[in-house]
Amino acid sequence: MKALIIVGHGSHLNEDSSLPVYEHAALVRDRYAGEFDEVVECFWKEEPSMRHVLDMVEAEEVCVVPAFISEGYFTQQVIPRELGLDGPVTHRDGRTIRYAGPLGTFEGMPDVILERVDDLLKGKEMRPGRTALVLLGHGTDLNKNSGGVVYLNAERIRERGVYDLVEVGFLDQDPPIAEVVEGVEAENVVLIPVFIAEGWHTRETIPEDLRLTGEVTERADKTIFYGAPVGTHPSVADLIISRARETKEREAQLARDVS
Amino acid sequence: MRATSPERPGGESPRRSTAAEARAAFAHWVNEVPEGLPFGQIVVRALPGNGGYELRHVADVGIPDGDLVAHNEPRAAREIAKLTEEGEYRPLKSSPNLKRGWVLRVKDDRALYVAMNYLYPSGVAHWHLYRNGELEITNYRENAARQSGIYKRVQRLSDEGVQNTAKACCEDAVCLKKTLWDVDENTPLAADRGEGEIPCPEPCSIFVSLARRVRLFERENKRDLDAIGLSPSEKEDLSALVEAAATGSVKFAREAEFEEPLNERRMRYRKLTLVPKLRPVEDTAPEEG
Repeated sequence: MKALIIVGHGSHLNEDSSLPVYEHAALVRDRYAGEFDEVVECFWKEEPSMRHVLDMVEAEEVCVVPAFISEGYFTQQVIPRELGLDGPVTHRDGRTIRYAGPLGTFEGMPDVILERVDDLLKGKEMRPGRTALVLLGHGTDLNKNSGGVVYLNAERIRERGVYDLVEVGFLDQDPPIAEVVEGVEAENVVLIPVFIAEGWHTRETIPEDLRLTGEVTERADKTIFYGAPVGTHPSVADLIISRARETKEREAQLARDVS
Repeated sequence: MRATSPERPGGESPRRSTAAEARAAFAHWVNEVPEGLPFGQIVVRALPGNGGYELRHVADVGIPDGDLVAHNEPRAAREIAKLTEEGEYRPLKSSPNLKRGWVLRVKDDRALYVAMNYLYPSGVAHWHLYRNGELEITNYRENAARQSGIYKRVQRLSDEGVQNTAKACCEDAVCLKKTLWDVDENTPLAADRGEGEIPCPEPCSIFVSLARRVRLFERENKRDLDAIGLSPSEKEDLSALVEAAATGSVKFAREAEFEEPLNERRMRYRKLTLVPKLRPVEDTAPEEG
């Protein structure tokens, strides 16, 4: 038997945080029926906990995919510790547990961001002139990977040449998002939070800081289009499956390296 | 100890799935009692004849079907377990605040297992391991030792702080699990461990979050007590309580919002640690009459 475990952060305070994990799990069960016998959600701050999720899973082959954007504190420290993982592949109690990389660094992420942009702009009127895509990350000065993943996606989208400008702004590190949005030289600014879930930042702090009035905010010199977080997009379910499939290749790679 | 496959000399041993065993054992347990068995706040009953199962709130036993919202998809259990009757988010599924008014019928033991894991996540697996004497218990100190980041400070919580946090956070009034862990192997938990069927093998993240808050209270106690021995946060909580009560209705903070004064578990902790300061033992002579 094979199981897929999707790990989310979760919240003690509201249901928004875990919702995308449940929704992606449901899509995986539906779209990829037969690939996994069990698809189970677990969380850092909700139940089932990472610590106990393996107790309730029957399969001997388990793949763990973190529904996190960047490689960092959670994916490198908390998740392996709580699940008792030794690395990309763990053999324990007759089980093989494969651990996938986070979603944000995956090569398919730019496609999901661009799908999110398409959803946002559908049926909306753009001003004549330039269009800038601004990726908004949380960022932290404590870990350069947190911001790095946003720059990585911006660069990958820039290479495709579909926008006049692709910029990056953050909540908790430089450059601050408000300065980036004000300063960007484009008539249309498309702002996409590179976050997993809706929450306090996407619903409250970001709209307040940027004085947004909703999905579309008209300013004298530009129109700002504000999208939902990329992590809630239904295509993230496909990203999770791609990450899960990739772990097999990682295992083969490790085996080659050892021999 | 955690269940592991027995070692067999000279080859790979077949893996024993304790989760599959738990699923079967739970169904068997339910099948044995036609009127159904309680588990947390629900009653599970085998449906005669078709191999299916019915789940409902224990307080809804005997209520006619027509008065309940019927579900037949096991994953509907997640929505049932998500919010309280009043629409508040439930971060801890073993809190005694499961809403009423629903009945869930599922087709077989696999579907039952899925539903149970949304109502009481990992509850059936732990129930089974505990009955077999195989549930691995992690004491507070062991759990605290692996915490990091903003939770690292719970390593310095005093034994008394752990005891009071458990009384505030784990007793049946606020959590229906049976608390099996201790402070450490030499220091048993003083809290009432509870009567429920669902074992609690390790402090949960809600507990660790409250423990962090209590550790911050402890630090403050040493440094900042006023002339009558009250700490700044104790005075803040009292003020908030008086102000709220003066409006005629006390609006409590969310269940795990421990940074807010009017949180039930935070207030339970204050009852243990603040009330004795305000009302010393000699002042609490029983009233006459």
